[in-house]
Amino acid sequence: MGLLSKKSQQVLKDPLMSNNPIAFQVLGICSALAVTVKMDTAIVMTLAVIFVLAMSNTIISAMRNYIPGRVRIIVMLSVIASLVILTDQVLRAYAYDMSKQLSVFVGLIITNCIVLGRAEAFALQNTPGKAFWDGVGNALGYGIILIAVSFFREILGSGTLLGLQIIPQAFYNAGYENMGLMVLSPGAFIILGLIIWVQRLITKVEEEA
Amino acid sequence: MLEHYLSLAVKAIFVENILLAYFLGMCSFLAISKKVETSIGLGLAVVFVLSITAPVNWLLHTYLLKEGALSWAGLPDLDLSYLNFIVFIATIAAMVQLVEMIMDRFAPALYLSLGIFLPLIAVNCAILGGSLFLVERNYNLAESVVFGFGSGIGFFLAITTMAAIRHRLRYSNVPPALRGLGITMLLTGLLSMTFMAFSGIDL
Amino acid sequence: MRSNSYTLGFTALVTIILGIMLSAAATSLKDRQLLNEELDIKKNILASLKIAGTSGSKASAQEVQQLFTDNIRSFVVDKDGNVVAGLSPDQIDPKTMVEVYPVYEKVLDGATSGFALPISGKGLWSSCYGYLALESDCNTVMGITFYKHGETPGLGGEIEKEWFTSNFSGKRIFDDNGGLVSIQVVKGVVNESSSDAYHQVDGISGATLTTKGLNVFIKQDLNNYLPFLKQAH
Repeated sequence: MGLLSKKSQQVLKDPLMSNNPIAFQVLGICSALAVTVKMDTAIVMTLAVIFVLAMSNTIISAMRNYIPGRVRIIVMLSVIASLVILTDQVLRAYAYDMSKQLSVFVGLIITNCIVLGRAEAFALQNTPGKAFWDGVGNALGYGIILIAVSFFREILGSGTLLGLQIIPQAFYNAGYENMGLMVLSPGAFIILGLIIWVQRLITKVEEEA
Repeated sequence: MLEHYLSLAVKAIFVENILLAYFLGMCSFLAISKKVETSIGLGLAVVFVLSITAPVNWLLHTYLLKEGALSWAGLPDLDLSYLNFIVFIATIAAMVQLVEMIMDRFAPALYLSLGIFLPLIAVNCAILGGSLFLVERNYNLAESVVFGFGSGIGFFLAITTMAAIRHRLRYSNVPPALRGLGITMLLTGLLSMTFMAFSGIDL
Repeated sequence: MRSNSYTLGFTALVTIILGIMLSAAATSLKDRQLLNEELDIKKNILASLKIAGTSGSKASAQEVQQLFTDNIRSFVVDKDGNVVAGLSPDQIDPKTMVEVYPVYEKVLDGATSGFALPISGKGLWSSCYGYLALESDCNTVMGITFYKHGETPGLGGEIEKEWFTSNFSGKRIFDDNGGLVSIQVVKGVVNESSSDAYHQVDGISGATLTTKGLNVFIKQDLNNYLPFLKQAH
């Protein structure tokens, strides 16, 4: 971490721990959960979000003194949408199988509230360098949750991790069965709810019902 | 033929609920479902905007962006489908703005109750997702109208149900760390499971 | 508040820069994307015909192309089962040409050892696309693949998985009297003692509607090829 100043370290680490974007700011869950059936799609999705969020934060921050206030939202949206299109095109050219599985969910990064939220809340007030690390940090925090959810869903739902069989065949022979619920959407909601519960038990944060 | 559209609508509303099966529109769902009144407002606004943007984006995709779509303009080889995302999101933002202005002018009462939700909706993934799905699934114009409307109703149902449940929840003793976001997630899981029961319907 | 002309100018500038950037990216990546799609289809044809080295996605682009040119002879048949001279499958324009059907023949040491036929139709949510390969007797199924579908992952999406597709191999599409019965995906597990067992494969639990769609369109597509299959047999 010698590369980073103390301040940048703080900016990077904050969203990872106490300020996790998914569990705390309730942002960006939308486009995330549908790709958590398997861990590999969740990882690629995380990489895509890191790229888009870091780049959009940097670009918007670099333009922050020139963007006219009235059209700021639409300008930010165009920048984000262009980055997402770029990501989608590159995936289709170099990771065709993956892009088939992610289908429309890459496009939905545009409406991921984290991306626009960080642009508005951080990039418009800070220098490009800091905005870049803020983007990376937020995307990582989001990615950790995403990968955690996919970890449980894949291992419980399919008995595999990254496509490799983890649950030994002997278990199946002894009558063990994959948990079909995990593959379906309710599984994602329940796992995410439990993750939030555990995280809040640890961080001792409570919310009004 | 009517049967086909009816079955598509039922699928979009129940079986393939855009929120409970595809996780689209979660942000506003979690934030707004605390109160029944506001959730009805947001739900109606989503129905409204989805029903409009789905066919409009279908037209744009078919006559402007799809490969060979510009053959009427003498450009049969042009493929602009890579601009899908940006055109869709711009259309959605513009439509929302337009709806807001028209409502303000002709239905001020409705505007007062729905107005505050409209800007929120521009970045609601359910709206963009609806447009992306109809391209992915090759719907025709009539199908996309039905799908847009049905998805909106599905969202409306889900969010009002959740608001009602959360209303009752105020009187229950939820473990402190689970309050708010956590319990809402678990409830959404149960709700989504309930909606899955519809997938047995043979249409 | 800045002036209107500044706002307009700024928006125009951003639009132009982004537009140029995106067009450049899309155009430069277009060839690669098309190649990917073509390769994906070829890989599936090879896999349905059980040509070695193509299972999974390990084979490189060159290997796939090589295997394809070495082993596959493609042609087009009309609705009477006759080969249409001078037409290859990639020249078919679906808008203007109807009732022409592509066939991919597996040639092994100069002799025919199987045919792969494209199949497509509605599953539960989406159109499914794939290939069904028959042995040279035009009756026994060699293999089946699906390369594009939008079914629910884990349920209908299982149709592309090996455990499901491998059940098709060895099944027969004609009954003893030469009538076309196609392959039926049943609900649950095939009753092996039943006299129909050799037309049936195990179902996917939770995906009855997807497999119902499959049953319908596989039979329809096979029907189109019926004259050709009778001739080749």
